Amino acid sequence: MISYALRRLGAGIVLALLVTMITFFLLSGSLESVARERLGSAATPESIKALMTQLGFDRPAIVQYLDWLGAVLTGDFGTSLFTSQPVAPAVASRLGVTLSLVVTALIITVIVSVALGVWAASRGGVADKVSQALSLVGYIVPGLLIAIVLVAVLAVNLKLLPATGFTHFAQNPAKWAASITIPVIVLVIGGVASMAAQVRGSMIDELRKDYVRTLRTRGIPTRSIVLRHALRNAASPALTVLSLEFIQMLGGALIIENVFALPGYGQYAFNASLQGDIPIIMGITLFGVMLVVAVNLITDVVNGWLNPKARIY
Amino acid sequence: MITVLSRARSLTRAASATVAVAALLATAACSSASPDTSAQQSQSRDQELSIAVQAPPASLDPSQLAEGQQSYVWASIFDTLLLVDKEGKVRPNAAESWKYSEDLRTLTLKLRGDLKFSAGDAVTAKDVVGTLERTRATPGQQQSKLAKVTAVSAPDDSTVVIQLSAPEPSLLNYLAQATGVIGDPETLAAETTKLRPAGSGPYVLSDATVDGTEYVLERREDHWNAAAYPFKTVKVKVIQDRTAQYNALQAGEVKAAFIQAPQRQQAEAAGFKVKEVQAVAALALILADRKGELVPALADVKVRQAINMAFDREQVVKALLQGVGRPTVQVFNPNGDAYNSELEGTYDFDPEKARKLLAEAGYADGFSMTMPSTVISQSFEPVITQALADIGIKVTWEPVPPQNTAASISSKKYPAVLWFAGLNEAGREVGDMYTPEAFLNPFKWQDPEFDKLLQKIANESDEEARADLYKKVSEYTVKQALNAPIAYTGTLWATAPDVEFIPSVVVLPTVRDFGVTSG
Repeated sequence: MISYALRRLGAGIVLALLVTMITFFLLSGSLESVARERLGSAATPESIKALMTQLGFDRPAIVQYLDWLGAVLTGDFGTSLFTSQPVAPAVASRLGVTLSLVVTALIITVIVSVALGVWAASRGGVADKVSQALSLVGYIVPGLLIAIVLVAVLAVNLKLLPATGFTHFAQNPAKWAASITIPVIVLVIGGVASMAAQVRGSMIDELRKDYVRTLRTRGIPTRSIVLRHALRNAASPALTVLSLEFIQMLGGALIIENVFALPGYGQYAFNASLQGDIPIIMGITLFGVMLVVAVNLITDVVNGWLNPKARIY
Repeated sequence: MITVLSRARSLTRAASATVAVAALLATAACSSASPDTSAQQSQSRDQELSIAVQAPPASLDPSQLAEGQQSYVWASIFDTLLLVDKEGKVRPNAAESWKYSEDLRTLTLKLRGDLKFSAGDAVTAKDVVGTLERTRATPGQQQSKLAKVTAVSAPDDSTVVIQLSAPEPSLLNYLAQATGVIGDPETLAAETTKLRPAGSGPYVLSDATVDGTEYVLERREDHWNAAAYPFKTVKVKVIQDRTAQYNALQAGEVKAAFIQAPQRQQAEAAGFKVKEVQAVAALALILADRKGELVPALADVKVRQAINMAFDREQVVKALLQGVGRPTVQVFNPNGDAYNSELEGTYDFDPEKARKLLAEAGYADGFSMTMPSTVISQSFEPVITQALADIGIKVTWEPVPPQNTAASISSKKYPAVLWFAGLNEAGREVGDMYTPEAFLNPFKWQDPEFDKLLQKIANESDEEARADLYKKVSEYTVKQALNAPIAYTGTLWATAPDVEFIPSVVVLPTVRDFGVTSG
């Protein structure tokens, strides 16, 4: 397994190299615009040229890329061209905000989806209908609308929760929980809608299989059949959906972060792209690729642990 | 979503950048304008102010400062040499007096004796020289403003002498804004200066600051002008989304924020004070190619005049600016020297007359031109296309990525560009628009008569005579239809009941724009 993980990691590094290289070459067409943006409307051709020289933008793109890569290997991710913040801590802090949101939302999504899916599949009838109706509503109602309503009710009118802003867990856990409650609810509703349906479907499939019938004939309690046997087998496809959900939530975080003014990864990436803040864009791309690689790797490993048949290592 | 966000952001950036220009107003006037009694003042001096802004400040290195909403932070940390008051007049600040030589090539400034950096060291003329010299030598937004400076010296601890190669009518204004901040030359080159600079201003950044997210400023009680700053703590919170800003205001998380026109009634009903700043930028179709290099028709004044008559400006303000703004045919600050109210009405909406003018110019069948579709122009494009089509001009919009918005002008690829022109002191506006080096004059249009006018201004030392000359500049630009201005765009500030937004015109946004409500 270790060699499999290392191989995947190696592939991830190659992927990161390729993605960052393509990103850099795409950006290298706008270097003059970036210098101009930094100098403002008072920029003159001379000052643009001077700044481009100072920033090293006048060198061939490949040299600039290799230079960036070399610095990254020594742990230097550079500094934002606009805000002067060092890239690594800035991106890490933004990622921390987004991850604390997304991971919390995922954990709750898993718990609720499994409960709902298992309940629906094992009970059937009204339970199934209720579960399906909930999934459907989650699908249909846009997350943004839920966000707006929850802010209006819980934050603006009742003042129970903050409308904007983020508190780090380490600073004040209670305030942290309050600051992410509404965003997490919004993410969970969207997540549960797809996950619960997935768990329900897989569970129904599993419960119809021969081994379940065999277990039943041997007198194994239903609870044990459902939770110990069927669920374990049903978890595999659900896990794949979960990993996709995670990556989707990272992307969707941009909207949530904007609505709640959370200083997260999505918003940061968006602003950096607007300005052409190359070091930040490169840092975000690199962290993003590595995160996706890591999530896929973890999914494969957990999948293999849950279901030896699914082991690909 | 991305389009909406980016457009909103860029509109605001353009507007605030423009705005930034005009704003020192509040300062000197604020202190005298404050109606508070001393008892109320002492009670109010412990208050906290939190302002929502859409973007964090860039580097706080004096040579890299940018104007716009960013100045809430840097204008609190640094003292500027001079200040512009509500009427747009330059006033003393860190420099208590100044004097020009007769040939307007030497400016001597006298510093106050009680300036101190936050670390406790006294500010001397050498610090001013060090900061200006570094700004002059470092590529950044302020460098070109000191292009005519040939030397800066400090004959003694309180005197700064600036030598110029030619008169610079806007120099005093520059020294009242980002170019005129005083940094500590010993620390300027340090990495820490970009985020935690040493300044002599009325506030210092506290440790609670989270860069890029929330800037917490604590008042320095030992600052020479601390009495003019009623708020003990000022928090500048970065909230990009306009709706989120409004939510934060309603939830009591900020005390001051921009709001949008449709939110006005609701905000007032909820007890917030709403103040309209009528002009922060001029929305104008910049007729960059008035030499006719790309579109020969634009070289003809009749064609440019026809374009000016194609727009129903009242409707644009009503429908697209939602009433926050006002129609105009000028690009100059309505509170500045160059604005000439008599010129309004020069180009009323008259498509028929416009078509006639085009026919007289030999373009009875109209012509076509391509304009860049930028984050600024997108919401106005249908109206512009329709208005110009009505007089026979066919417009094709070419998409430009957000980071290339400014380059769409400088690239000389487009004959005309829709732009928010910043309002400022008249000299700076001319410098941004009409001089051969001007950003909004990419084809380097020049005219002997116009040049003579500018030369006269540069050599005029009397303020009133200079203002009259600037009015002639505006008259020339309108009569010659150098651009097609459409409207002044405004903003709405909403504040909590105990906070007041003071200025009706904003040039450089500072925390002194806000006061404590009495009673």
